[in-house]
Amino acid sequence: MGLTGIQIYKLLPKTNCKECGEPTCLAFAMKLAAGKAELAKCPYVSDEAKEQLSEASAPPIRGITLGTGENAFKIGEEVVLYRHEKTFVNQPGYGILITDTMDDTEVEAKIKRLNEMFFERVGLTLTADFAALKNESGDPSKFESLTQKVMGLTQKALVLISENVDALSAAGKVAKDRRPLLYAATKENADQVGALAKELGVPVAAKANGLDELIELSEKLTSIGLKDIVLDPGNRKLKDLYADLHFHRRAALKDKFKPLGFPFITFPNEMTDDPMKEALYAAIFVAKYAGLIVLSDLDAHRMLPLTVQRLNIYTDPQRPMIMEQGIYEINKPDKSSPVLLTTNFALTYFIVSAEIEASRVPSWLLVMDTEGLSVLTAWSAGKFVADAIAPFVKKSGIEEKVDHRNIIIPGYVAQISGELEEELGGDWKVVLGTREASDIPAFLRTYASKG
Amino acid sequence: MSRIILTAAIRGSHAIVNRVAKKVEEAIEKFGPDQKVELPNTGYYLPIIWGILGIPVTKLGDMPRVVEYCKNLLPPIPDEKNWLPYLGPGLDAGMATLLSYDMEEALKYLEDPLPYLPLAEDCDDEHLWLGAADDRIMRKRGVEFVDGTAPGFAAIVGAAPDNETAVKIAKELQEKNLYVFMASDHNGVNMAEQLKEEGVQLGWTTRLVPFGKDTSAAIHAMGFATRVAMAFGGVKPGDYVKILRYNKNRVFAFVMALGHVTDEWYAAAAGCINWGFPTIADSNIPQILPTGVCTYEHVVSNVPHDQIVSKAIEVRGLKIQVAKVPVPVSYGPAFEGERIGKDAMHVELAGPKAMGVEFCTSAPLDEVQDGKIELVGPDFKDMEEGSRHSLGILVTVAGRKMQEDFEPILERQIHHFLNWAEGVLHIGQRDIIWLRISKKAMEKGFSAIHFGKILHARFHSEFNNIVDKIQVNIYTEEDKVKLLLDKARTVWKERDERLAGLTDDAVDTFYSCTLCQSFAPNHVCIITPERPGLCGAYNWLDGKAAYEINPTGPNQPVKKGEVVDEKLGKWKGVDEFVYPTSHNTIQSFSAYSIMNDPMTSCGCFECITVVLPMANGVMIVDRDSTCMTPCGMTFSTLAGTVGGGLQTPGFIGMSKFYIGSKKFISADGGFKRIVWMPKALKEQLKDMLVKRSEEIGIPDFYDKIATEEDATTEEEVIEFMNKVGHPALEMEPMM
Amino acid sequence: MAFTPPLEKYAGKIREVVIGKGDKVVKLGGHNAMPGCIFDGDFPNLPKIALEVFDSAPEDWAPEAIKPYEDVVNDPVAWAKKAVDVYNAELVCLHLKSTDPNGENVGADEAAQLAKKVSDSISVPLIVLGSGNAEKDGEVAAKVCEVCAGQNLLVGLAVEDNYKKIGAAAIGYGHCVAAQSPIDVNLAKQLNILLDNLGVPLDKIVMEPSTGALGYGIEYTYSVMERIELAALSQNDDKMQLPIMNIMAVETWKTREAKLDVDAEPTFGDLSKRGILWEAMTAVDLILSGTSLLIMRHPEAVRLTKEIIEELYLGK
Repeated sequence: MGLTGIQIYKLLPKTNCKECGEPTCLAFAMKLAAGKAELAKCPYVSDEAKEQLSEASAPPIRGITLGTGENAFKIGEEVVLYRHEKTFVNQPGYGILITDTMDDTEVEAKIKRLNEMFFERVGLTLTADFAALKNESGDPSKFESLTQKVMGLTQKALVLISENVDALSAAGKVAKDRRPLLYAATKENADQVGALAKELGVPVAAKANGLDELIELSEKLTSIGLKDIVLDPGNRKLKDLYADLHFHRRAALKDKFKPLGFPFITFPNEMTDDPMKEALYAAIFVAKYAGLIVLSDLDAHRMLPLTVQRLNIYTDPQRPMIMEQGIYEINKPDKSSPVLLTTNFALTYFIVSAEIEASRVPSWLLVMDTEGLSVLTAWSAGKFVADAIAPFVKKSGIEEKVDHRNIIIPGYVAQISGELEEELGGDWKVVLGTREASDIPAFLRTYASKG
Repeated sequence: MSRIILTAAIRGSHAIVNRVAKKVEEAIEKFGPDQKVELPNTGYYLPIIWGILGIPVTKLGDMPRVVEYCKNLLPPIPDEKNWLPYLGPGLDAGMATLLSYDMEEALKYLEDPLPYLPLAEDCDDEHLWLGAADDRIMRKRGVEFVDGTAPGFAAIVGAAPDNETAVKIAKELQEKNLYVFMASDHNGVNMAEQLKEEGVQLGWTTRLVPFGKDTSAAIHAMGFATRVAMAFGGVKPGDYVKILRYNKNRVFAFVMALGHVTDEWYAAAAGCINWGFPTIADSNIPQILPTGVCTYEHVVSNVPHDQIVSKAIEVRGLKIQVAKVPVPVSYGPAFEGERIGKDAMHVELAGPKAMGVEFCTSAPLDEVQDGKIELVGPDFKDMEEGSRHSLGILVTVAGRKMQEDFEPILERQIHHFLNWAEGVLHIGQRDIIWLRISKKAMEKGFSAIHFGKILHARFHSEFNNIVDKIQVNIYTEEDKVKLLLDKARTVWKERDERLAGLTDDAVDTFYSCTLCQSFAPNHVCIITPERPGLCGAYNWLDGKAAYEINPTGPNQPVKKGEVVDEKLGKWKGVDEFVYPTSHNTIQSFSAYSIMNDPMTSCGCFECITVVLPMANGVMIVDRDSTCMTPCGMTFSTLAGTVGGGLQTPGFIGMSKFYIGSKKFISADGGFKRIVWMPKALKEQLKDMLVKRSEEIGIPDFYDKIATEEDATTEEEVIEFMNKVGHPALEMEPMM
Repeated sequence: MAFTPPLEKYAGKIREVVIGKGDKVVKLGGHNAMPGCIFDGDFPNLPKIALEVFDSAPEDWAPEAIKPYEDVVNDPVAWAKKAVDVYNAELVCLHLKSTDPNGENVGADEAAQLAKKVSDSISVPLIVLGSGNAEKDGEVAAKVCEVCAGQNLLVGLAVEDNYKKIGAAAIGYGHCVAAQSPIDVNLAKQLNILLDNLGVPLDKIVMEPSTGALGYGIEYTYSVMERIELAALSQNDDKMQLPIMNIMAVETWKTREAKLDVDAEPTFGDLSKRGILWEAMTAVDLILSGTSLLIMRHPEAVRLTKEIIEELYLGK
């Protein structure tokens, strides 16, 4: 249990000096309590307070950043077992496996997919995150040159996979400014790989046979002063790995067990030859506690569901996904096409737009910013009411796009129809739509046929 | 008074048990003990005996054991001077009667030819009497009992004084979706015969079921009810307590005794009381009014025929359902927002330029006639187009569970109910109502009477649990409206005072609200008289009513229990409720503190109170405010901080009303702690704040509360406080 | 010192619900730990998969979804048989879609007769659902209960507006009830209480929490299900200890991701595999959040899902 904002406030200087960037010590304390600020920002905090606070505020699972610049991503820092308890925080990274035995064409094709594959959703761009380079050949120089080549082809983060210290060292040196993950320190090579990671100042993964050995390795790496560690318990069977991932998350969160307080890396690519199955494993590890997920390839038909899966599971349950306010065109509408109105709660939008699309009736969908509230909630919160909707409709520019003045509103807000018509004024007519989205296709077809 | 009835019942039961005992003996002699006895196509043997005693009677030889049991059950016939309470022995006698009837009817099936039309659903021209329902019928019809399509049955013994009355009673019962089971005779006539003479279709399909002309045939009604308990209640045969309880609680049945009540009828009626089925009689016999076994009264007598059905329904506690709102215009939420402009308007009612009143009150059950709608004054069609008239609507409700406290809650619904009608515009409540009726509605034949129809139907369907009868009076005559208005204003004043006088200390129960757990999984609102729900939408009375209306809903009663800390507002009962309901996250809850285990927030709060540590007070900011506040956070930042069902000391989400409550953070110093609020909010709440200022003995306290015009940072707040001499400066430190 | 895995022991246990009769029986629930956590408790019954059958040939289906059933879409009985005999369905779910009063409005009697015919011709238990119109579903389900008396089908969907009708018929004729509530923990519980009050035994109810597909609200379903399971297990909430089912295929296959071909959305990749994966991944999410019964469509998605279940629980 962390400290409350007030408990933290009591440890702060209580001067409202504003040097932390917050207007008051209380506001700063609340941010600290929520894990959204760092104590270091307060220049006047006492050492004693610092000690008490950092103890309380250190994340139970360490956050680790791979890559640099806009391609950097962070994993770890999770605070709950179930997303509804608060939220899952840092999405796990997806990576594509590339080995030093592949020919150039294959390497280039794979990197191209890594670089270019993206999906747009709720105003976000969904992509994969890293290239996992594997020293399949066993030859350090091949590994080095693959790393070199890939460095030239992509700016994305890298995971360097080899148990050969020389190979890791060679590639690591090439890639060290990219902040790659060295994979892996094992029972056999932990001293050397640990030293290498320390020398290069990059994160290192520990790979073991089972959790007991993994804990030993983790403690060993910590003892030589390494902080950025990623763990692999070595299991490649779903049932066992699933258990390991649970034990890791529980031990870290509930028992504050430091040796397991690091993100896990998983290898669905090593668990099956069936690409479909591999995608399902990856989906499981998204939901159940992985930090990095290595895939054999990035096919669009697998990455689309996988990136959506990651987005869904990591959506903050208390903060709905929202759409951008505006006019959305569906089925290539023209000047006579119907105009429908809904709120910017992403789920509402998805469902409504999918139904309109299914109706095949060309339509304009006006999506209004209701701070992500659904129709009824937004209405009862006073955000989806006539005097808010009317200005939005008028400013949206829809009046230039259509030559009629009919707007279809959700059936659930029938009670605003009269007032909205008055507020809109002019020739605007309010048409009552359906209460359920599933009735939209039938409604639209009849509506459109009536002209 | 019941002494006479029960003496008669006991006398009757002796006669019946002895008669049946003799019949059993004779039958065994004639057919032998191995002769099979059974009712047609049933797995429940003789259903009363199987259900109550758990004895499967399959052959004659099984019967003597049951006869013996009945004899043991019979109490001695009380002598005239004995004044002991009789209900217990009377019930036993009744039970012995019904067990005996079960055998008596079964013996009939040994006769040739059969007295009944077996395995038929409906009567034909030749055969009137259907006898026992087989399992197929029982299941099919029993489903209707459980799903509420048929709430229960009327077991009618005897006959109406004339055919016309018989038809009327039958029709009325059919309209209430009840089954009518008919048996026995009065002066040699049974009601089924009366109906048949009048050409009424009889049988299970029309729900008018003639069982048999003997009184014993009435047992098929009880056998049916008993089988329903086993088939649908999962009750094991022999578990008589559960069988009887199931029937009392779920099968809305009653006995209607038409004609002279014989000892035998008394005996059977006493038996039915065991099942929780009361008897309603048209003859002048003594009553058994005190409640006990049945939900309400046991025997109600001398009821006129035109009231007998509604009385029966009331006594049995049956709920009326009005499926469809009977108006000529469309009706539904879609029309709530409909506007009626001047051109489209036929007539305007009440509003700023005429008198208007909408008033709901409650009355004793026998003073309200359900469904009665009365109009005094001209109807809409007789009003000149474009004219304006006064309007008074008086809704009088009655219900066994109705409470005066619910009146305002029902009254507030009138607005929604009327507004759902197409072509009706309704604004406001109480004496500020304003209505318009559209020309289109008039074309469809809309009348003032339809207001009554709407309210009658909707109150029944929405407030079934608390309202049994609804009567509506509509006034369009000026002086009548005035009379109602004066009366209503007196009552409103009383209501408002009563509400204001409700205190936390005066009640022993609070109400919870978990409506918001869908998005704040662990949040629990505790609604007390002096602290409404943080959304401002639910006060204590609403919680109470909501619980009565929907006992499994999100508003549950929370017993305060032992006081843990009076000042903080901690009670054992409340903590014990909050802990599991918050899914084991909130251990303890203070009603009156912002610092110590404050109430959690879902996110719907009207405003947020935040401690300003250096100012030694609190600031309040409401949802409409968008500016930066002295605590360094805007409303929306604060909302993100305190929402989600977390206990956040120093912060509470709350309703605006709570600011004016005597219990407002009373553990932390209360109202005097307020140092800042947005100007708009301060002005909006001015009356309440000034009143509280006077109550705390600092009449100018209102002016000591800073707004954004006086201070935007904590330092400026302190400066302002010093300037105006704010009392919080002198108070003990908040933290 | 060896690491002691932190195990979770719960006070509560999900009721076991038996669907079907005689030698065609499927058991749901019965577990006392969170999904896949075989290290914490016992899972006497693994999540089961039912295949869908519709009472009329579906329109607007993705070609990939129709392909496996092309030869049987006009014959529900043959369709059901194929689902069982060819695709090894553990149960069959008959959607009486054409009873929709806003559609073909097929009567309850006719629909019930079809349900009986399907039930009689397959060797696995049957689930029967209506069109989604609460009032009509009540009528149809009640008739199905009567006509299929004693077969212990899983009948639905019971919702707040029709639960009495369906519940009563299910009690009277010996069936289980599929009870759907609108994606809210408390509403789910409330419906269970209402059914319980009506007299439906709690071990004859399966909860449908309202299912969203991947990308279309799966995260809501996921969290509501986790919360239901946790309430049942850790708080030992008797009224929540019912197995969960998910009517998921209908939702997954109507998404644009499962339907739009690569010409319409060039970045979406192979349509046929994408649709299957969309269904299978939705299924996996539901398994992870606590389902006991999935209503699925594509045989290949079923195969993948089944393998995942067996690997997760049995280590295959």
